[in-house]
Amino acid sequence: MSFFSSLDLEPRPLLRAALTTALLCGAIALGSRAGRWLDPALLGYLLASVFACFGVAYRYWTWVERPATWMYFRDLLKRLASPRVIILLPKMGLLALDQIFLQRFIGRRSIKRWGAHALIAWGCLLGFSVTFPLVFGWIRFASDGLNQDRYQAWLFGFGTGSFPVHSFAGFLAFHVLDLAALMVITGCVLAFIRRGQDEGDMATQRFDLDILPLLVLLAVSITGILLTVSEKALQGRNFGTLAYLHELTVILMLLSLPFGKLFHIAQRPAQLGVTFYKAAGEAEGRLACKACGSLFIRANQRRDLEALFLKLGLETARHSESVHHLDLCPKCKRRLLAKAQGSRLGGAFDPFSGIPVPVDPITDPQTFRSQP
Amino acid sequence: MVSDEHGFFIDPQRCIGCRACVGACAECGTHKGRPMIHLDDMDRMDSPQTVPTVCMHCEDPICAQVCPADAIKRTDDGVVHSSQKPRCIGCENCELACPFGVPIVFSGMEQMLKCDLCYDRTSEGLKPMCATVCPSQALLYVPKHQVLGMRRSKPVREFLVGALKVKTRTAVMVPDPDIPLHLDAASLIEGGF
Repeated sequence: MSFFSSLDLEPRPLLRAALTTALLCGAIALGSRAGRWLDPALLGYLLASVFACFGVAYRYWTWVERPATWMYFRDLLKRLASPRVIILLPKMGLLALDQIFLQRFIGRRSIKRWGAHALIAWGCLLGFSVTFPLVFGWIRFASDGLNQDRYQAWLFGFGTGSFPVHSFAGFLAFHVLDLAALMVITGCVLAFIRRGQDEGDMATQRFDLDILPLLVLLAVSITGILLTVSEKALQGRNFGTLAYLHELTVILMLLSLPFGKLFHIAQRPAQLGVTFYKAAGEAEGRLACKACGSLFIRANQRRDLEALFLKLGLETARHSESVHHLDLCPKCKRRLLAKAQGSRLGGAFDPFSGIPVPVDPITDPQTFRSQP
Repeated sequence: MVSDEHGFFIDPQRCIGCRACVGACAECGTHKGRPMIHLDDMDRMDSPQTVPTVCMHCEDPICAQVCPADAIKRTDDGVVHSSQKPRCIGCENCELACPFGVPIVFSGMEQMLKCDLCYDRTSEGLKPMCATVCPSQALLYVPKHQVLGMRRSKPVREFLVGALKVKTRTAVMVPDPDIPLHLDAASLIEGGF
């Protein structure tokens, strides 16, 4: 028994995950100027982020290796490697704005769901866009020389502009995470209300998959807000304890990223690839159902699905040399099941088979004859 | 969990096309306002026969196997659910690969929805909406032992899709249940419906 099989880990995704983590570590080392700009107070966050990167990358590469996922991933890689990528990238940017940032497709599922999800997603994006660069030492705020009233932002170890501590820019810099936390808290509360009212969700939701991630996000946001409350309203009372508590919840959230519902953050961009795949299929044309003749399946998808069936050991889903089950449209497949039952019942579905059907149209409604 | 004691039995030849199932299905909480049951005509030109189709809930669902997002799950009670909302990317693989033509992908909202046996009802011991309202019992949800005494036909849960054997939770009523029901598209194409 090999080492990997005893761990039940797949070697190729493991290697790719290690490489991805090494790339992140390299970027951290480079961006923090060999660690000089790392904040020692954020070391716990840093280690948890690196672990989360490895876990997410491992699960991502395992997921990508599934035959069905690889079908689309390979197509996207081909597109990205082609010279037409110059045209593709701006389109992809616009699509990402619609599908990843605005998430309008969720609004079409349910406006309540979109409201809650958008607040959580935007809050998390805002929070991540601030905290990860801080944790990785890419951004750091420090007093502007000996002037305690001004703060200076350091980007990758290079000094950028400074701003007064008591200014709008200062307020934003110090409270952007509070804003993110408020958005996440509001979103989570709305999500809980919706989940408590939706009969369908109540029947199908699971604590570990649907409720726990919301609780973790709430814990992170509430403990984060409490830090500001302690500083502003309680003269810093219990700040240290709250800081440890917040760090604990954030580390728990980061460690749970590869295992739970939040992994869909890594999966969702695949939707962009699928949109381009569909567009390419439409350009190639749709094939007709071999039973009813209606156009239904994109040519590229028909080809790739047959190859996928072969990989999955489903190649026997073929009716003859020329007719695969994929050549039938969904409606004909449904009628086929009924036809099969009908043939077992001795032609039960053809009650009028014995009645001759006139070749010519009936023109006289009185006599029901074709020719008056 | 849906009780293993009950089974879903389809008998298309009993369907009278009243569309009560379609109206009732839209009331289900898991897909709100969108009927997931299909009611198709066999052939409008030659016959008034209609065909109701619900999910067959395969033991090894092909829709789940071809799903690139790993979004389709079968719970321990044998129910294959609609795609998980956070994962589904609306690729349509499931819709095209399903042997029985059941899933529907709504491209605007990038999600596949399908008959999930009215999970909000059946997990509470109630009948699915369609079986509750079907006047001709073409759609029947009863204890498995009960159906044996109700009909001359018996339930079959094995199907041959071409040469591929597919086992399902939902059954179709046939006179000879020991032989898998063969979905033979070749004859369909040659002779029409």
